[in-house]
Amino acid sequence: MQKSLKISFIAHFLILVLSSLALPFLVGKVQVPVLISVDLVQIGDRTNLPYAPKVTDGEKTDKKIKDKVVTNQAPPKIIPKEKPDAVPLPENIQKIKELLEKRQNPVKVEDLTKQTSEFEKKEIFDPNKISALIDKSKKDNAEINNKPNIEATQSQQKNIVASKLTITQEDAIKAQIFKCWNIPIGLPYNENLTVRVKVKLNKDGSLISSEILDQTRMNAAGQTYYKILAESALRAVKLCNPLKVPSTDYEKWKEMQLNFDAKEMLKG
Amino acid sequence: MLLNNLSKVILVLIVTLFLGACATKQQATTATATATATATTAPTDDAYTGTETVKYLADGISDRIFFATNKSDLTSAATATLAKQSTYLKANPTLNVVLEGHADERGTREYNLALGERRATAAKNYLISNGVAANRIKVISYGKEKPANPASNVLAWSQNRRTVTVKTN
Amino acid sequence: MKYKILKVFILFFFLTTKSFGLVSVDITRGNLDPLPLAVSNFYLDENLTDNIKKLQLEVKIPELIENNLSRSGLFFALEKKSFIQKPEVAHNRPRFEDWSFIKAQVLVTGKVSLEKDGRVKVEFKLWDIVSATELSALAFYTASDNWRRVSHIISDKIYERLTGEKGYFDSRIIYVSETGPKVDRKKRLAVMDQDGYGIKYLTLGNELVLTPRFSPTSQNVTYMSYFKNLPRVYLLNIETGIQDLVGDFPGMTFAPRFSSDGKKIIMSFAQEGNSDIYTMDIKTRVVERLTDHPSIDTSPSYSPDGSYITFNSDRSGFQQIYTMKSDGANVKRISFGEGLYGTPVWSPRGDLIAFTKLYKNKFYIGVMRSDGSGERLLTENYYQEAPSWAPNGRVLIFYRETASDSGGRGGGAKLWSIDLTGYNERLIQTPTDASDPSWSGLLSEKQKN
Repeated sequence: MQKSLKISFIAHFLILVLSSLALPFLVGKVQVPVLISVDLVQIGDRTNLPYAPKVTDGEKTDKKIKDKVVTNQAPPKIIPKEKPDAVPLPENIQKIKELLEKRQNPVKVEDLTKQTSEFEKKEIFDPNKISALIDKSKKDNAEINNKPNIEATQSQQKNIVASKLTITQEDAIKAQIFKCWNIPIGLPYNENLTVRVKVKLNKDGSLISSEILDQTRMNAAGQTYYKILAESALRAVKLCNPLKVPSTDYEKWKEMQLNFDAKEMLKG
Repeated sequence: MLLNNLSKVILVLIVTLFLGACATKQQATTATATATATATTAPTDDAYTGTETVKYLADGISDRIFFATNKSDLTSAATATLAKQSTYLKANPTLNVVLEGHADERGTREYNLALGERRATAAKNYLISNGVAANRIKVISYGKEKPANPASNVLAWSQNRRTVTVKTN
Repeated sequence: MKYKILKVFILFFFLTTKSFGLVSVDITRGNLDPLPLAVSNFYLDENLTDNIKKLQLEVKIPELIENNLSRSGLFFALEKKSFIQKPEVAHNRPRFEDWSFIKAQVLVTGKVSLEKDGRVKVEFKLWDIVSATELSALAFYTASDNWRRVSHIISDKIYERLTGEKGYFDSRIIYVSETGPKVDRKKRLAVMDQDGYGIKYLTLGNELVLTPRFSPTSQNVTYMSYFKNLPRVYLLNIETGIQDLVGDFPGMTFAPRFSSDGKKIIMSFAQEGNSDIYTMDIKTRVVERLTDHPSIDTSPSYSPDGSYITFNSDRSGFQQIYTMKSDGANVKRISFGEGLYGTPVWSPRGDLIAFTKLYKNKFYIGVMRSDGSGERLLTENYYQEAPSWAPNGRVLIFYRETASDSGGRGGGAKLWSIDLTGYNERLIQTPTDASDPSWSGLLSEKQKN
């Protein structure tokens, strides 16, 4: 027993000595990683203030909307009957007419529908937390550089600067769609899924059409995840209709390709 | 330069070799540490030493021994108790016993079942080495299923890490 | 030569994009909120005098679907009070503006008809409100008493259509029901639907029972019982009630689990202070020993393809997780974090292993890849262990115990579920204390086998 203890003692001492000799060499070899990479970003010559409301403003409008939803929904039974474009059964038409006549102030009906549209617009027009996005624009740009199909964007940058949105313009559009996009959170993060959607817009930002650029993949066998992502992308585009768009440069943005990629979000 | 690198590699290899030797040595001792509890084991010995929960097989012969967390090595107190038990069992040759191995509630159920069996077996082997016939001793593990003290604190857990000798006839 | 072709391609690519001049915007962010979903009441297309039955079919079915989907954490069910359209109108073709007004993005509608043979036909449609399209429509025929089952199957179909993954709602959970004081706990096997309904007790509680596990392919259950004070692994068919001892071992067998094809039981056998891993073929009864090491080897679990096994061993001196080939070769340690690791369970998808971790006197449920990388801890608590996977590998069920006071009172055990995000943690209500849960496979898939 004593013998083995001695041996153990000596061995441990040797290890201590040896490791103190060997380890510093190893440490010395480790390279210090480069910490900062700087990206040059093209910045628009004018800042479009309307696109960057303060966060608090956004919250306020949000609250307002919520309040409105509550008040709007309080008399839910009335709304369908009063809506002129409802699909009432023949026997109901008479009833609705009676109802409308009974109402002493038909203005209220108009009020309701008006509120509805107002509410919808506000909801869509609300590009919340844009200021928060400015920090992230650099990050996004860094990500862009890694992606193969962005080479096109880079070449555009060199060759046809005219058709490139300014960072402010691009961020304004991004910010709106970020808010409208409900990422299907059940999707696997480790699959490479990018859905490209081509949108055509009117001058006022309203949607003319939206289409998935890789339509064949959408219905191909074994592409269920792609299909689900594509459906969510189309919903996002429609929920954001009409987009709040720059007042100028219609030629630049009348057609856009939106690349939906949920990987980063699903990972985190 | 190359030579320098090579010497570093060799140094590291020697260190790992020594460390490896150390590891196997330890494993060998735990594997054989059934009956011979050595002074080198149990550096963090939190085995219970009191008598609260203890019952007696006969006057002055405690029915249970206690273990340190995640351990099945017999402490010196445990061997003293088991020595008394074996004397008592040899004096009463018609008596049979079952050794119930237990664990505290701070482990996964399945591992605790195995641990209880290991603790009970450690006690059994000690009794056998002290001359009690093997066919008089049965072993059963209850893992963490039957605590002696139902509280959730360090004292209770130490009282629950135990092997209890129970008469079967 | 190859390079030339490539260059031409690249040039062509640039030219085309240049002529397009299409502005490209990357959308890499969105919100991770659950999808707003409306489940309309279903409607009976003829009058039914039995009011209870009418209520079940028209209201309870959609309610169950709604509960299932919202508990998954992936959907947010909207208040029915805010619905504008009547169920029958919506089912024919919803007026999408009405539903987008209440911010629904998808809508479920349904119709129930009574068949001449006494069965009912339950039909549902899933609508994309924003894109104004029908996503899917299916009908099921069943006895009207079976409405719960139908609701779960419909929930699975909707889940699958909206997430791309199979659901897990048409499934059951077996667990140990616990009553009585801690020093003398009465434990009984119980089985229930995945949502906590329809509890059936399978044993009387006369002997201690532990660690029941569902076969992924049948109504078989394997568990450990102290019947006649002999702790052994048993096999039980919960439909026939037929019960069998697994193997003929001279000592304690424990920690049983089925292979993913349901043909074998893998377990530990303890003898002379040493636990090793064995398998038994259920049909041939042939027993095979897989590990032979003086340490404790336990909690084995097969990979879904059956070619690997993960298990728990303290051969390093402490409890850690290992993998090996199904013949016992290539034993490899995969857990290297600080603390103790136990109860590894292979995901039915094959990519992950769930485990219990004990670190600094706290218990964690976590997952890691099958090579040990990418460890993620999902939940931390005073005591919790024994995760079991939902059939789609997205949700884990486990049990959590609370500490008792110095008088031994107040400690209890409950079932909880958590999904892989770690955010959607839910208590599963049981009338008694409960532990050792195990999830079945999808019931509808079992019937095919």
